[in-house]
Amino acid sequence: MNRTPRITNRIVLTLLGLALSAMGLHGLLLVAVPAYAEGWRGLADQVGTGFTGLLDATTLEGQRDSWLWIVVSVVMIALILLMIWWVAVQGQGKTGIFVREFREEATRGIVELSAAVPEQALKASLAGRPDLVTVSVTSWTSPQHEAGLRIKVQPRLGAAPHRIAEDLAELVVDMDGMLGASGPVVIHLATGARTRMSRAERVR
Amino acid sequence: MNDGERRKLQSHELHSARSTAAIIAAVLVTAICLYFMFEAAMKSLGQDVWIRSPGQWGQWLTDLPDSANPLVLAAGSLVLLALGLFFLLHGILPGRRARHAIPNERAIVIVDDGVLASTLARRARTEAGVTPEQVVVIVSRNHVDVQLRPTSGIGIDAAVVHAAIDDELRANRIEPVPDVRVHVAETGVVGQ
Repeated sequence: MNRTPRITNRIVLTLLGLALSAMGLHGLLLVAVPAYAEGWRGLADQVGTGFTGLLDATTLEGQRDSWLWIVVSVVMIALILLMIWWVAVQGQGKTGIFVREFREEATRGIVELSAAVPEQALKASLAGRPDLVTVSVTSWTSPQHEAGLRIKVQPRLGAAPHRIAEDLAELVVDMDGMLGASGPVVIHLATGARTRMSRAERVR
Repeated sequence: MNDGERRKLQSHELHSARSTAAIIAAVLVTAICLYFMFEAAMKSLGQDVWIRSPGQWGQWLTDLPDSANPLVLAAGSLVLLALGLFFLLHGILPGRRARHAIPNERAIVIVDDGVLASTLARRARTEAGVTPEQVVVIVSRNHVDVQLRPTSGIGIDAAVVHAAIDDELRANRIEPVPDVRVHVAETGVVGQ
């Protein structure tokens, strides 16, 4: 439900993987195939000479080194900033405000429901259930749709998943009517440390 | 929420987002970029280099077949290759999580395979009349494996357990429906 850029992750990982694998293969070929090593030496020499020529052409009068190095530094800084953005954007999208509403004409002001409202409401209605060990509710925003709810419950070992899911979905429908919001809802029946430690569900 | 969004959200819940691999990759690229930025900045300021200037790195790469110890070069290349395959596989494999979906009108319902396994184990146990310790259920995407150890002297009808597990899967409307395999052990245990 978060806004992790999944497609970007896949593309960048694939490209980086291809690049690193190619380098590794290249190194192995250098060791194993003498003819390949010979070819590499010739090619690398050519590229090196071309590069030195380029450096000479871009060195300004009276300067010791080419200004190309400044360009390289700037490109590296840009890449580093991109990487920082990439890390920062993983798992984004959790919100503290579930609904925000305002009408232009009649009333002044904004109505906000904090994410604690659906969370407390659901927790209160599930408090008495013997077949759930823990309940946690979080709100998530997305540019495409209304704020979504993610309900993660840990059922007791052996509890019937479909019954829990149906009861929870019913609660959600009730809450839709109460709060006037109907964003996407994910119900996740999970296992965790608490379920393994607690006693198993008895036959109902 | 229309059907397309629903399907997308559900597939997000069932597949890994590859965040961990992405963060490792970002840190690696940042470290390399920092180093080369440092060397290039040194060069552009006309200062002495730290380890090698980028030009010297180029020369080092050219001389690699002759100058480097072949064993070290091979080992380094293998490490690079392994790292590359790690990222590549994370990039192209589907990365399914151990979860199943249950269709529902209002919500997207996701069940961890562990939860499903404990439910099936309870059903198999009551059907076969054994204790919890005598049942092991393993749930994967397309298969459910039920392993039973009978109590000595009391047989277990595998077909009955099979039917019960099928019924339980149908009741829970698990998608896609997995194949069920029931295995009753040859040797029994002393009744507990």
